[in-house]
Parts: sequence; C-alpha cells; structure tokens
Amino acid sequence: MKTRTFRFKLTIALVAGALTCGAAAAIAQNAGKSLIGKLEGPEVVTDPAKFPKTFKEAPQLAALVKAGKLPPVAERIGQDPLVIKPLHEVGKYGGMWRAGFTGPADFWNGFRCCSGPDHLMFWDYTGDKVVPNLAKGLEMQDGGRAWLIHLRRGMKWSDGKPFTADDFVFWFEDVYQNKDLVPVPSAAMAINGKPGVVEKVDTYTVRFKFPEPYTMFPDVLAGSTDLAGQMQGWRALGGFAPAHYMKQFHPKYVSQAELDRKAKEAKFDSWVRMFLFKNDWALNPELPVLSAWKTVTPINTPTWTLERNPYSIFVDTAGNQLPYIDKVVLTLAENLEVINLRAIAGEYDYASRHMDLGKLPVFLENQKRGNYKVYLDPGDYCDLIIKFNLNYDADPEIGKLFNTADFRRALSLGIDRDQINETFWLGTGTPGSMVPVDTNKYNPGPQYRKLWATYDVKKANEMLDKIGLAKKDAEGYRLRADGKGRLRIEIMTLGGQFVQYTQISEMIREQWKKIGIDLTVQEVERSLALQRTANNEQQLAAWNNDGSEHLFTFPVHVFPFVLADVATSGPLYVKWFHSAGAQGKEPEPRMKELMEKWKKAFGVSEKERIQLGKDIWRIEAEEVYIIGVVGQGPASMGVRVVKTNLGNIPSRMYNSPDGKTPGISRPVTFYWKN
Amino acid sequence: MAIATDAGSVPGAPIADAQRVFVASQWQLMWWRFRKHRLAVASGIVVAGFYLVVLGADFLAYSDPLASEAQRSLMPPQPIRWFHDGRLRPHVYGFKGARDPLTFKRVYQPDPGQKIPVRFFAQGFEYRFLGLIPTSRHLVGVDPGRDASVTLFLLGTDVQGRDLWSRLMYGTRISLTIGLLGVGLSLVLGVVLGGFSGFYGGAIDTVIQRVIEILRSIPTIPLWMGLAAALPRDWSILQVYFAITIIISLLGWTELARVIRGRFLALREEDFVVSARLVGCSQMRTIFVHMVPSFMSHIIAAATLALPAMIISETALSFLGLGLRPPAISWGVLLQQAQNVQTVAISPWLMIPAIPVIVAVMAFNFLGDGLRDAADPYGR
Amino acid sequence: MLAYIGRRALLAVFTVWAISVLSFVIIQLPPGDYVSSYIAQMASMGSVVSDEEAQNLRIQYGLGQPIYVQYWKWMKQIAEGNFGFSMEWRRPVTEVIGERLWLTVVVAVAALLLTWVLALPIGIYSAVRQYSLGDYLATFIGFIGLAVPNFLLALVLLYLGFTLFDAHIGGLFSPELQDAPWSLARAWDLCKHLPIPALILGLAGTAQQIRIMRANLLDELRRPYVVTARSKGLSEPRVIVKYPVRMALNPFASTIGYTLPFIVSGSIIVSLVLGLPTVGPLLLRALISQDMFLAGTIVLLLGVMTVIGTLISDILLVWIDPRIRLEDT
Repeated sequence: MKTRTFRFKLTIALVAGALTCGAAAAIAQNAGKSLIGKLEGPEVVTDPAKFPKTFKEAPQLAALVKAGKLPPVAERIGQDPLVIKPLHEVGKYGGMWRAGFTGPADFWNGFRCCSGPDHLMFWDYTGDKVVPNLAKGLEMQDGGRAWLIHLRRGMKWSDGKPFTADDFVFWFEDVYQNKDLVPVPSAAMAINGKPGVVEKVDTYTVRFKFPEPYTMFPDVLAGSTDLAGQMQGWRALGGFAPAHYMKQFHPKYVSQAELDRKAKEAKFDSWVRMFLFKNDWALNPELPVLSAWKTVTPINTPTWTLERNPYSIFVDTAGNQLPYIDKVVLTLAENLEVINLRAIAGEYDYASRHMDLGKLPVFLENQKRGNYKVYLDPGDYCDLIIKFNLNYDADPEIGKLFNTADFRRALSLGIDRDQINETFWLGTGTPGSMVPVDTNKYNPGPQYRKLWATYDVKKANEMLDKIGLAKKDAEGYRLRADGKGRLRIEIMTLGGQFVQYTQISEMIREQWKKIGIDLTVQEVERSLALQRTANNEQQLAAWNNDGSEHLFTFPVHVFPFVLADVATSGPLYVKWFHSAGAQGKEPEPRMKELMEKWKKAFGVSEKERIQLGKDIWRIEAEEVYIIGVVGQGPASMGVRVVKTNLGNIPSRMYNSPDGKTPGISRPVTFYWKN
Repeated sequence: MAIATDAGSVPGAPIADAQRVFVASQWQLMWWRFRKHRLAVASGIVVAGFYLVVLGADFLAYSDPLASEAQRSLMPPQPIRWFHDGRLRPHVYGFKGARDPLTFKRVYQPDPGQKIPVRFFAQGFEYRFLGLIPTSRHLVGVDPGRDASVTLFLLGTDVQGRDLWSRLMYGTRISLTIGLLGVGLSLVLGVVLGGFSGFYGGAIDTVIQRVIEILRSIPTIPLWMGLAAALPRDWSILQVYFAITIIISLLGWTELARVIRGRFLALREEDFVVSARLVGCSQMRTIFVHMVPSFMSHIIAAATLALPAMIISETALSFLGLGLRPPAISWGVLLQQAQNVQTVAISPWLMIPAIPVIVAVMAFNFLGDGLRDAADPYGR
Repeated sequence: MLAYIGRRALLAVFTVWAISVLSFVIIQLPPGDYVSSYIAQMASMGSVVSDEEAQNLRIQYGLGQPIYVQYWKWMKQIAEGNFGFSMEWRRPVTEVIGERLWLTVVVAVAALLLTWVLALPIGIYSAVRQYSLGDYLATFIGFIGLAVPNFLLALVLLYLGFTLFDAHIGGLFSPELQDAPWSLARAWDLCKHLPIPALILGLAGTAQQIRIMRANLLDELRRPYVVTARSKGLSEPRVIVKYPVRMALNPFASTIGYTLPFIVSGSIIVSLVLGLPTVGPLLLRALISQDMFLAGTIVLLLGVMTVIGTLISDILLVWIDPRIRLEDT
C-alpha cells in the first residue's frame, strides 16, 4: 500500500515535525518543572545529645497505659529511640490515611508506605548516604571482614517482647540454614562467593562475619536486598525474625508430627508453607513487627488495614512517638482505571503507586475539586530500556547480529526518542542512553547520555549497510546476510504495567521501518514471558530500569544477573556469572570486564567503588548491550497525589525501589493539619 | 409449499394483483413482505453501506493508519468548512499544537490564515483497489503538493497521533469480515449438527442436545479466555485473527443448531418429504434438495442475527486483551484504546468507533428481524 | 411427569460433571502454571525467585503431577466440601469467594428484573401497535441496549457519576459499610448502588426479551379467542391483558434458565470496569494468574447455577405447557 513517494513525503513531514518537536520538547521540559519540586526530606538525628528526654504518645495509647494495658511510653521505646526531624514541623496525632491496592500481589504497596521502613540501616532522603535505622549503629571491624550491628537498648517487638541479638541468631541458624525454608543461599550473605556467618556478641550486639572484606555491607543493609528486614520474611530472609513467635512453627522447637498436624489443621500443604505464611508481614496480623504500622486486616481481604505499632521506636525531635497517623486503610481496586479514578475523585489521601502518567491532565483538572495537589517525582534511572538477548541462538544469524555492537548501536540511533517522550511521558522524561542521572555518583560523564542515543537515521543506515545488511527488499526492509529473506526481529512486551511498553514498541516499529528493520511486537502474559526467557526464546524485550541508579544493590537490569526474569540479556551469561564460570557460557571480553568490576566493588574502598561504577556504566553506554530510550521520568510511581491538608509532605521525593518511595520520606512524619 | 387461499392473507401483496400472488415465486412474496418492515429495509441499506466501506476502505482512508507523530497527539476532530468568501470551497484550517505547561494537555490552535483546500476524489497514497487495481484516488484528500496525512484529521487523532478516520475505515473492514467468517463457520456447524439432530433424532439428537446444553451452561468469558490464552503467542496477527473467529463461532453455532433442528423436526413429517423418500430419493438428496431450500430463509435470518453477536464478542475479547491486538485495527482494538479515564475526560472523540458498532449491531438486528418475518410469507 | 423430572435431573448431574471437567481443562490450557505466573509477578517487582525455590513451590502446590491426578484430587476435595486453597490469596477458596457469589446473584437478579420491567411494556406496546412509529421507536431504544459496548458505557457512567453527582467510584457499598456486618443500613446502601450496574447489565438482555414478548403476543393476538373477546365487547386493554399477555409470559419462564448465566457472564466485564465486589473480576484474575482451584471452582459454580436454572425453568415450562413434555424425546 505504501510506495516510496508516500514514504518520502512522510519523511519530509516527520522531519518538519521533528524540528517543531525539538522546540516543543524544550518547552515541555520546562513545563514538567512546574510540578517537580526540590528534593527534600526529614533527617535522622544521630547525635545523642539532641535526643528528646521525655516522650509523648497518641491519646488512645495513653488511655491504654492508664488502664494498665500497656507499659508507659518511655519503657516501650527504650533507651535508644530513632529520632527523626520532621521536614517542616512537629505534627499532631490522629486521622486515617486512605489509599488503594490491587490485590495480594501488591505487597510492595504496604512496604513502601507503612513499614517505617524497617531496614537495619537505611538511606537518607537524598538516597545517597547510609544512616542508621533500626540498628543504632554499624561498626566495621577487621578491614571490612566483620560488621558489628549495635541494636537499640530496650527496643521491643510490637507485642512487647525484646528485640535482641537472639532474633538474628535464630534467623541465621534455624531459618536461613534450613534447606527447606531457604533452598538457595542468598548472594547478599556472601562476598566473592564465600558465605558469611552471624554471631551473637551480646544482647544488643550482633556480628556478621565474612571471609573477605565486604565493604558494601552497609549499602546492602540499606537497599532492598535479601537482608532488608521483615519485608523479606515471606521468603525466610531479612537478617532477623521474631524468634519468640516463630519458634512455634519450626521443627527444631516443635516435634515434626505436631507441626504437621498444626499445618494440616490450618489448611496448609506443609509446615514450610505455614512457616512462610506466618512470617509474612502483609498476611499475618499476629506476626510481631518492628515497623511503624502493623497489619491488622491482612492483604488477602478487600481491605488491608494497618494500625500504629505501640512499640514503635520512631520518635520526632519533640519526643512524640511516631507515627502521627493512626491508621492506614488500603481498599481493593482490581482495575487500574478504577484506582486512578478514585484518586482523581479525591478518595485517596496519598497515592503514588499505580498512578498513570497518561492521566496527568485529568489529575490536574480535578485538583481543586478533590482537594489535593499533584507532584511529579522523576526517578534517577532510565524508565524505558530495550534489552538484547545476547545468548539468543534459535536463529544463528540473528544471534550473531545481536552480538555485533554496531548492529545494536544502529538500532539505538534509529529510535526517535523525542517522539516517545512527548507521547508517553508527556514530555517530562529525558531522552537518552541508560546511564543514570548526571548527579548520580556512578554517572561516567554527561557525554554518555547522548552516546549512541540520538536520532540519526542516516548514520544508522550507513552502519547497517556496513555490517552486511545492505540489501533490501521491494518494501525497503533489509535482507538477511545468509540469503533467507527479510530480516525480522521480535520484541516482547508486557501489558498493564506502569510504562506502556506495547504501544511504545509499536511506535518504535514504525520508526525502525526507516532503517529497514522489520520489528514484530509480541505482547505476552507474565508467565509466558518468564517461560520464554528461561528457554532462551526471547530476542528483544522492553522493560524498565528502576533501581539501577543503585548499581550495586539493584543490578537486575544492568547486566545479565537473574535467571527468572521477564526480560533477559542472556540467561547463559547469568549462569556463568553465578557459578563463577562452571556453567553457562563465557561472555565476550567487555561484558566479562563489566561483571568482574561489579563483583570487585563489594570489597573495595568507596572511592574505588565509585570508579568501578563509572567504568561499568561507560562500558554499557559504549557497547549498547541495552538500549536506553527515555529516562529520569516520573512514569513509574512518580505521579504523586496528596491531600492539601497533609503536613510534612516534601515537594520532591527520591523515587526509587531501593528508597521504598515514599518510605524514604518517612511517612511516619506525615500528619493531618486539620 | 402451502398455497395461500386468498390474496388478502399475504401481507404486503397489492390487493389489485390478486392474480399475481398465485403465480408469484416464493422469493417475490418474501420481498413484498420484507418491504413492509420499513426499519428492516432501511437497515438493509445501512448494512450494504457498511460492506461498501469494507470493500473501499483504502479509498475512504487518506492516511496510513499506523503512522504516528507525537506532535499531532490527541487532536480533536477538524471540521470541514464549506464556504469561503461566499463560494463553495471546502477547506480545513491548518493548526499549531503544543503541550500546555500548566494543564499538560495538548492544545491545538486552528490557524484561519492557513486554509487547506479539501478535494474530493483526490490523489493520495497508492493502493490496490479490491486488491487488483493500482490507484491513488481517495474519497477525500487535499491539493497535490500537500500531504493529506499531515493536514487532514477529520475525526481527530489518537495518543500516538494517528488519524482516527483512516483507522476507523480499516477497522471496519476487519470487524465486519471477522463477523462474516465467524457466522459462516457457525452456519456450517449449525446446519450440519442441527440437521443431524433434527433429521435422525434418537440417540444422535440426545447427544448433540446435551453437548449444546453443556456449551451453553459454561460462562463464555472463561471459555474464551482459556482458549485464547492457549493460542501460541508467536502466531502472526493473521493467524490470531482466524483463530479468534473460530473460537467465537465455536460457541455461536448452538443457537443456529437449535433453530435448524426445530425446523427439521417440523419438516420431517411434511407430506413432500415423505413423498420424496417414498419416490426413492437418498437421504442426502432429500435433505439438501428438498428440505433445506424450504427453510433457507430461516437460515439467512438466523445468520443475520448471529452477526451482531460476533461483532460484540470481538469487542469484548479485545477489551480483555484476548482478541485482536495492535498493530491490527478493529473496532474492538479502537475501543480498547479508548477505554480509559483520560479519553472519557479529555479526548472523548476517541470513543467515536462505538457509533459504527452500535449502528451495525442495530442494523443487523433489524435486518434479521425483517428477514425472519419475511422468511415465511405464507405464515403469520 | 415424575419420570420426566427424574430424567432431566439425571441429565443435569451429568452436565455438571462435564462442566467440571471442561472448566478444569480450560484452566490448564494456557502454558505454565501458577508458579511461573507467580515468579513473573515477583520478577516484575524486583524480587528474585531462584529455580530451586520454584521447583520447591511446584512440589508444595502439587503442580508437577499429571492433569488427571490433579483433577481427581480436586474432585475428591470437593466431595469433602473443601474447594481448595487459592494460591494467590493464600486463603481457602470458599473464603475468597465468600460474599461475592451471592452478590453476583443479587446484581444479576436486579439486572433481570430491570430487563423485564423495561421489556414487558415495550414488547406489549410493540405488538399492539405493530409497524407504527411508536413500535419502531420503542424497539429502537430497546435495541440500543444490546448494541452499546457495555464496558465503555460503564466507564462513561462511572466518570459522569463522579463529575455530575460526586458519586463514589464503583463498588457496591460505600467505603464505611464495605466490611461491616449485615444490617438494614448496609442492605439499603447496596440498593442505592445497584441501579447503575443493573442498568448496564440489563440493557443487553432487554432487546432479546422485547423480541420474544412481541413475537409471542403477536401470535396470541391473532387467535380466535381474542376476536371473540373483542366482539363480545370487552375493552381493548382487558382483551390484551387478561389472556394474551399471560399466555405470552409462559416462554419467559423458559428464558430464566439461560438469561441468568448470560447476565452473569456479561457481568464479568462490567464488574471489572465498575470495580464491583462480585465473582467476575475474581475469575478474570484467577484465570490470568492460573490460580487453579479458585478459577475452577468459580467456573464450576457458575455452570452449576446455570444448570439448576435451566432445570427449574424446564420443569416450570413442562408444568405450564404439557405439549412440551409430549414433544420431547
């Protein structure tokens, strides 16, 4: 149907469009800025001299103390409170926080808003520095081979029992090393493949010991890794567990027969299922927790309710025990349109998860009516990436092309990122490569943002011609070098995500027509995606790279790192990486170099690590193993809708999975002004 | 065939032509009866119109339905202005678009200074009419030297800046042909299975009846979902298209089978069938030469009524993400892309494809009703 | 009569069994199983599940076994009254379905009632004033309900409800009463929320009922006894209502059996769009994540409801009209 004349006219039109587009993009960039505030947030006070001397509590807790049902607040908090200086002012107690969730699989929702967070160490509000959180302090010993975790004296679980080193030992000896509960050891508990151990020093001190220096340990504790507290409880990880409660579900302390009987009675298939269920922060209201709010009605009901933890160690600078808000009520909305519409209608008090950037105009239109304000929190990472499966071998010609750097670079040059940014990010993103934002400490330099990431159809065509794809068919598509007809490649996408992968891939398909590449877009279901990646059947995949700004704690989409994934860069390389060369396939030199650097970074000084990080991103940008399309946008949980009378709300939050946004802005300090 | 005993008992037949009624063929009687149902006649014209669109989709479209352009995203429909300086000179205004920094909406300013004349039967992109004749004439277009695909947007554009009118034309083609194929398949299944059921009766009848009952008892959506989810994902759009029609028709045949079985049961005892058997016609001949023609009209009516169900099924499946997927374009796909809050609130023109769906479904229904009423011109 | 009922009942049981097999097969059709769906979900949220963990899970959930073994286990469980454990919701299936099933029925019945309330008068009017403008207009309106894509209509109504009436978005209850125990206030709240879903769902069925009513009444109106009644001087309304309408209502009885599942099935999509706490959205989700027992149980229950409905309406029909009984082989 289309002939060259038509395409030619179209090209002219599009070039003209692109020129106007450039101007419009500039305007749009500035437009975004009106909703993007300045990064700010509450700080953790570490100087004991500045700690409050007396404590106050919520009225309903005070009433319980008076009735003799709770010990007094000072006793509940202990001698070492976690003091947080609220962003704007000291708040008031009371009120309810309404939000929505989409079902039992949406547990991150609760961890992000309401867990405190409950990591041992955590990030400050910039997402850069590691500060003490549940742990009072972290002490390095023996050049990084041992880490002393100092716990807070008098700190208690939500049922009043003490939180001590015993909870760590229980976890390490009885849970982590039980092959039924944890079949595969965690990479976070090892350095250079060599596992570490956990030992009790005294009641309030724990030592994590490793055979080699593990300098990244603080970051690992702060990030959303396997040692990130009770969020990992449902996988029997996390670093600690409430020993006094979980013992009743463990075969070491209860006879196997008794345990099996209990499991059967409670309708579980096995004691393992029961244990993991009981250790699940979102599913088990009886689980003792350390988080600021605790689950009261679990996530597998239509309403997930969380209420304040009376033993919360979080306090503000005036001595008020946090959180201010009494209750968090998440109602089930099984449809993304419904959850967005409810937020638009002002039925939620604070919502950022599941908010669709495409609906931004509707949110803005209804601000007054819904009594809320809209904020945009762009991430530091690349929102949209396209991965090449470097191990694809079902079609040798295509596999060869994927492993040819110039092929990847040419395809990257054939993407009109401005168009995609304007259409799907409403102009709020930054077109470019996959390197993180310029201010990120591992960013190799501003020139790498545009490296191989501009729109240059002429160059792309030249490069493709040079690598043996110069012949084209009647419709202008390139022919394969092996004579088997037209070159066709396939991209796999998932529907229903925060980023519109399928529609964007269709746009890219139209754009790649101009460089002679025939792209087929395949939208698949999640389980099918998994199957295909595991079977090495995936060619290209579109995905999101959030978390990659924390290169070392979240490398999942930076290089082949996990096997069970919806988008892979090379399953054989993953195997090689994790088995230290025993399985899988050895990567090409530059990829190998990248992987070695990554591993090395865990045991070297901060300065060296930063340099390694920069090297890694440099290699990524030069080799284009993964094409970066649009980044630093607010598409993934970056559209924030907050009621105008909620206090201590930052004008911009650090948006990151590691930061458990909004956790990093300490929702415990949010309060109702009236 | 029963012969009417007096002209007055055949509704619609002109009384003065009483003689004509006696010699009129079955089809003529049906036509007279059909004509009386005005709505059905009007619907018939509408349906014919739709199928003209199916044939001439390329002719009616003026843009590549897949060409996207972010700077044209979400444009509202562009009205054709018919008069200029008092003379009939249809034209549209040029436009300038930008994203409003405060509301984040795309705002388009028509530019009255830029008048783009609209031509009918104009030159546009090349295509093959009916797949055979290469041509580049389109119903609507602009002056040579300009490109309709960047200046003309009669129904506005979607999120990716694609022209809705052109997409609607191509979508109509696919939606209506799926319907035909599906109905065709249902028809075959229905006639064969319903026929066996009605003609032979006995055990075959019971078995088929039970199968029909089971199929009708299962909620259709899970059945569709299960079947559609089982389709290999690496099938091309065309293969998925055919598979979807087969799936939809696998459930649609039950209604037809019931009707046909009823007819067969009724006709089995008729004199002419008995005499055909007595004379020595084989069963096949009896069925296909003698019985089927007498309820051909019923089949046509039932088929016409089954079509709207196909159309609705296709839209439902596409909504669930199980039907046709982009880059294929159908009414279901277009509606699925309009199924979100921002469309309803800010770009409602994207819901325009619902109109042809409504019109087509109603037209087919009325047409089918009329056909069914006319199917038995001697009856009530 | 008794023999007829007995035969139908036996057939019904057989149908239910066939449905159970079919539902189980349908659930298993898509490639992969719950564990692969679960892993994919975890992966999309940044949590990593290793191969070994996956294998473990499969063994724990009994997913590695052949399909007939799993089916047999499921049937045995159901016989014991245990409908299985929902893997996604980590609760027994009966708890997850809980209230939703009968809420689905409530919505479907409301839609059915609305259908009749609309279809009967329109059908009667259509038949009495055949081929008039009123006939065309009324039929037109009735058929619009069939033609409008109901998911789009649902979304539009949802949005309009919010912008024009400040209505609460979706759901069948106000947030305060969502989880409250049953009371008069809650029942009234439910009634207040029913009109929109019932309207959207009922519209589609209206066209069919109008047709049937119209056709049946037309048949009746031509009968000799109607002529007699008229000639004897009965007023026109009485002529129509006293006998013909009641005769024409008979086939309605037979349609209950098929209309109910039609509405329930159609309600799946609309419930999803409107966010109703009915069985529909639950089923869709379960099918996608291959939560075997939940999906299988819901499909089975819906099928059983249909079969029972059909059985009741068949019996009703036979009781009213003996000719059917004689015709049936």
